[in-house]
Amino acid sequence: MNQFVTVTLNGLTLAALYFVVASGFTLIFGLMRVVNMAHGALYLLGGYIALEIQTRWFEDEGSGLGLSLSGASDTEYSVFAWFVPLVLATLIIGVLGVVLQQVFLRWNQGQDLRQALITIALSVILADQMLAYWGGISKDIAAPSAWPTSITLPGDVRFGFFRGVVVLAAALIIGLGLYLIIKRTRFGKIVRAGVDDRDMVSALGINVNRVFIGMFFLGAMLAGIGGVLGGTMISLAPGQDTAFLLNSLIVVIIGGMGSLGGAAIGALALGLVDAYADVYLVFGDVDLTNYSIIVTFALLVGVLAVRPLGLFGRPA
Amino acid sequence: MFRRSHVALVAACAVFAACGSESNDDADKGADTNKAAEGGGGGDPIKIGFLSDCEGAFGSFFEPTASGANLALIKYAGAKPAGEKPTDGVTGATIAGKPVEIVGYGCADDTADKAIEETRRLMEQEDADVLIGPLSGDEGIAVANYAKEHPDKTFVNGIAGAQDSTLKVQAPNFFRFHPDGAQWSAGLGDYAYNELGWKNAAIIGDDYSFPYTSLAGFVAEFCAIGGQIPKRVWAPLGEEDYSSYISQIPEDVDGLYVGIGGSGLISFIKQYEEQRGRVDTERMLGNVFWDDPLVLKEVGKSLVGGVTSAMTAADSDSPEVAAYIQGLKDNYGDEIAGAGPSVFTYGYYTGMTALIKALEAVGGDVADQSKLQAELAKTTLSGDEAPWGDVKLDSNRQAVSNVFLKKIVEDTTGDGVPDVQTFARVNEVDQTFNGAFSADTPAPDRDNPKCEAGEAPPWVGKAEDVSFAKK
Amino acid sequence: MNPIVSTKRFSWPALIVVVALAAIAPLLVSDFFLNSILTKALWLGIAAASLIFLAAYAGMVSLGQVGIYGIAGMAYANLVLADGGAGAAWNPYLALIGALVIATVVGLGFGWIAARSEGIYFLMITLAFSVLVYYFFSQVTGLSGFGGINSVDLPGVVGSPETDPVPRYFLTLVVAVLVFLGLGALSRTAFGLGMQGVRDEPARMRALGFDVTRHRTLAFGVAAFVAGVAGVLSVFYNTRITPGSINLAQTIDVLIVAVIGGLYRLEGAWVGALTYALIDNYSREWVPEVGNVLGPARFNTLIGVLFLIIVLASPGGLIGIWDSLMAKVRTPRRAPAPKPVPQTIE
Repeated sequence: MNQFVTVTLNGLTLAALYFVVASGFTLIFGLMRVVNMAHGALYLLGGYIALEIQTRWFEDEGSGLGLSLSGASDTEYSVFAWFVPLVLATLIIGVLGVVLQQVFLRWNQGQDLRQALITIALSVILADQMLAYWGGISKDIAAPSAWPTSITLPGDVRFGFFRGVVVLAAALIIGLGLYLIIKRTRFGKIVRAGVDDRDMVSALGINVNRVFIGMFFLGAMLAGIGGVLGGTMISLAPGQDTAFLLNSLIVVIIGGMGSLGGAAIGALALGLVDAYADVYLVFGDVDLTNYSIIVTFALLVGVLAVRPLGLFGRPA
Repeated sequence: MFRRSHVALVAACAVFAACGSESNDDADKGADTNKAAEGGGGGDPIKIGFLSDCEGAFGSFFEPTASGANLALIKYAGAKPAGEKPTDGVTGATIAGKPVEIVGYGCADDTADKAIEETRRLMEQEDADVLIGPLSGDEGIAVANYAKEHPDKTFVNGIAGAQDSTLKVQAPNFFRFHPDGAQWSAGLGDYAYNELGWKNAAIIGDDYSFPYTSLAGFVAEFCAIGGQIPKRVWAPLGEEDYSSYISQIPEDVDGLYVGIGGSGLISFIKQYEEQRGRVDTERMLGNVFWDDPLVLKEVGKSLVGGVTSAMTAADSDSPEVAAYIQGLKDNYGDEIAGAGPSVFTYGYYTGMTALIKALEAVGGDVADQSKLQAELAKTTLSGDEAPWGDVKLDSNRQAVSNVFLKKIVEDTTGDGVPDVQTFARVNEVDQTFNGAFSADTPAPDRDNPKCEAGEAPPWVGKAEDVSFAKK
Repeated sequence: MNPIVSTKRFSWPALIVVVALAAIAPLLVSDFFLNSILTKALWLGIAAASLIFLAAYAGMVSLGQVGIYGIAGMAYANLVLADGGAGAAWNPYLALIGALVIATVVGLGFGWIAARSEGIYFLMITLAFSVLVYYFFSQVTGLSGFGGINSVDLPGVVGSPETDPVPRYFLTLVVAVLVFLGLGALSRTAFGLGMQGVRDEPARMRALGFDVTRHRTLAFGVAAFVAGVAGVLSVFYNTRITPGSINLAQTIDVLIVAVIGGLYRLEGAWVGALTYALIDNYSREWVPEVGNVLGPARFNTLIGVLFLIIVLASPGGLIGIWDSLMAKVRTPRRAPAPKPVPQTIE
């Protein structure tokens, strides 16, 4: 029973992180039909920028070659030492997203394949530059030292505090916030209208470019927040960019491109299926846990076979 | 239409022809740089390629591994460090009167592909005569296979510890002057069963050849004398999120043997604490990584009480060890010297030392390397050459040497980092575990070796008590 | 959509000149060049050709080709005598056929699932397939595992490449020429023309009674077969295969090769592959070191920037640039023909 609770929590926290990252990806697609293949690169860059700010401003000076397996140091971190990097990195990534959209994507709006190729090229370059600057060794962003390592739930189930409380709460707040933005604000109304009929929206005299800028800012920011959460909860390393791009892809393929609710459902499905398959694929003496990826694959194929556009997808 | 693509294809040919001649130019240019690179002495230089990891789970060991190889050149070939960082290279090395050139410090990332790509670059493009490396298990198997296909070159392993690279691949030109992962675990099964009283144990490791080997050493010994292994958990190498693997570790076993390494070990320890409260070290054994200086520095406090084993012992009081550490300190400073007791530094040191010795014996002849290979096969190391214990090779060109059992204890030196206390030494550990492993037994993997009672390795019950004087 | 794609015929004399030059290459260049540049460019080109075939004639830009070539390569390596994997020790020629059958069948299965989506969806789904194949082989140690399969047994026709790389080079060359001619011929058959119809006007084709999904699935199957050929040749080239040889980076690399050469012309595959192999091997020597940003180790930045420039400036790739240059030279007074814009059906 304890194991089941822990495994479920694992699945939920992964789902929460997937949702934060994938929601940005799916929102950008929903409004603009841009598949931003650099989304994973923005995720990792967000984490690295936060790490850089944390190391430069909030850490004792190191010296020498800095031989270390995780880049950790003995510094005590205040709550600010985590929140300031979070906010700054998120904003920087948001702005970067806007720059990316304005420089590379604005003038070829509508050519979705070309835009995908452009963002793939950018992600290749970004990944290599991040490797050059931050190296190939995995690094963690430190959580505030005052926060507990773990919490104990009823039934004596232990679970990581950051993972179980901070990440889950962040995902819930972000999900709620996005819902309110989409449903209650003028921006959200334009976005919803734009998803249905872009040409009509611009014909009504709305400055579509401004809305696009806003959407890219928001979508990139979500990748950035995801990077900081992921970098604290798990780690930052080369390869995490493509891992999270792929997670986002699977989430939105399952949930349906452009749908926020779909992203939530897709993230839950992916996170929980992964977590359960890792542990419960044992039938008597036959231990199939090492084949768990096949279950993920089956999930994807199953959804696509029944609904080629995903659970909540609508034809473009 | 017709003419347009015609011209296009002809242009492609032109490019292609230009490439052909370009490659010849490059060959000439290569020869020039080689001449320019000659240090002291005369004649064609002996070209050595160095291969280690600067990315991936073991990327942090790049400079320590280079420091080990360089130290051997400094001590036995008259080299001088060319810069503050070990990978800045060395100058002025000569062996048997011939200049020695390190053609490159190759950087892999623990995947076999990258290791082979770098090996090809060093051996084929940079034209190295000898390769020292690589660092990690599957890289080692791949390089040993590459060695088999290139009998005219010689390969000395760095610190890759998969059993297969010597026992199975058996390339006649691939030499390993340190024990493999299973040998490093020798004595732990005996200790767990007879001293700690474990009757059954779970094991967890990274899902690739080195931990298979490392845990195979434990399983073979522990099961031979009566232990049981009810659960084996494997996590992908480079995994950052161990939570689902930790929840698979059963709680109703006597103990757990942990074979997770590199940066993953740091994540594992942190997440284990999150999920299980603390690392119950009295019910855990660790493999070679546990007392690595870099690991102790970062999560050592969580590991106090844990027992581990390997071919080095940081608390050794022998003067040879002190001289080795001092050598690193004199050339590269405290930080690198701090990583001196790491098997990573030491493996590259013994490998390069053996190579220098053999090259010296054959007069630096790398034109026909069969002589060098015959010489390496009978090279032994002792004293300053192998400060933690004499090394000789078996018929598979695999080291036979000794292994230390150690406990991680609270800080005694005042640097805030927990220390190591050695309590036993297992002598003459060979790769086959008294025949339990051979070229015909299944290679260690997720399910092998099977847990079977049988004849115990010869060292069981014969571990020699050791107590090093406090420094 | 892509007016210059379908009707284009290559010229026999040019092909003959290229092949003749390639045939005497072993006399002109070093073994290293023959191996690391020419042989590699030829098999990498075949992989890219399978992508280009789908993109140009069926309007399907697939990132699943590396997944399929991985399946073929892994199947071959498992079926023959090798170090690691299943090591079934089949005759290499039988294993070769087995691997191609497996790759084609799996490709048809993938195709059936993916063919019902279009454009950018198709791209994403095939990408997901490709990466799942990578994860599958990483996880399943019985078939590969992290360390992959080493010292794979090769068919006799390849000889022993370490001592004499020439037979392997010629084999790869012959196969590449056959693939080029075969795909070109196929595009002019009724099936090929149907494919192009489906590419341009799926709705109209459907109305004409075409089974669009089946046509797309079959096209994917053909491309899977070609990708499978490339996969087996890559194993011949490396004498080993690991999950790392079929990871996402390799998926992107094959896409880069196809785009650099020209996504809408089959011969672009080999132009792109040759360019890629040359940059890969020689950029270390001429790229200046600019801080951390550029230097010998920054191959990916270099290739990424080239890729970006091509996508931004000339969607037709190097071949497209060449074509428009030639068009300018020959008809100086007329404005250059409008460039084809790669576009998928929304």
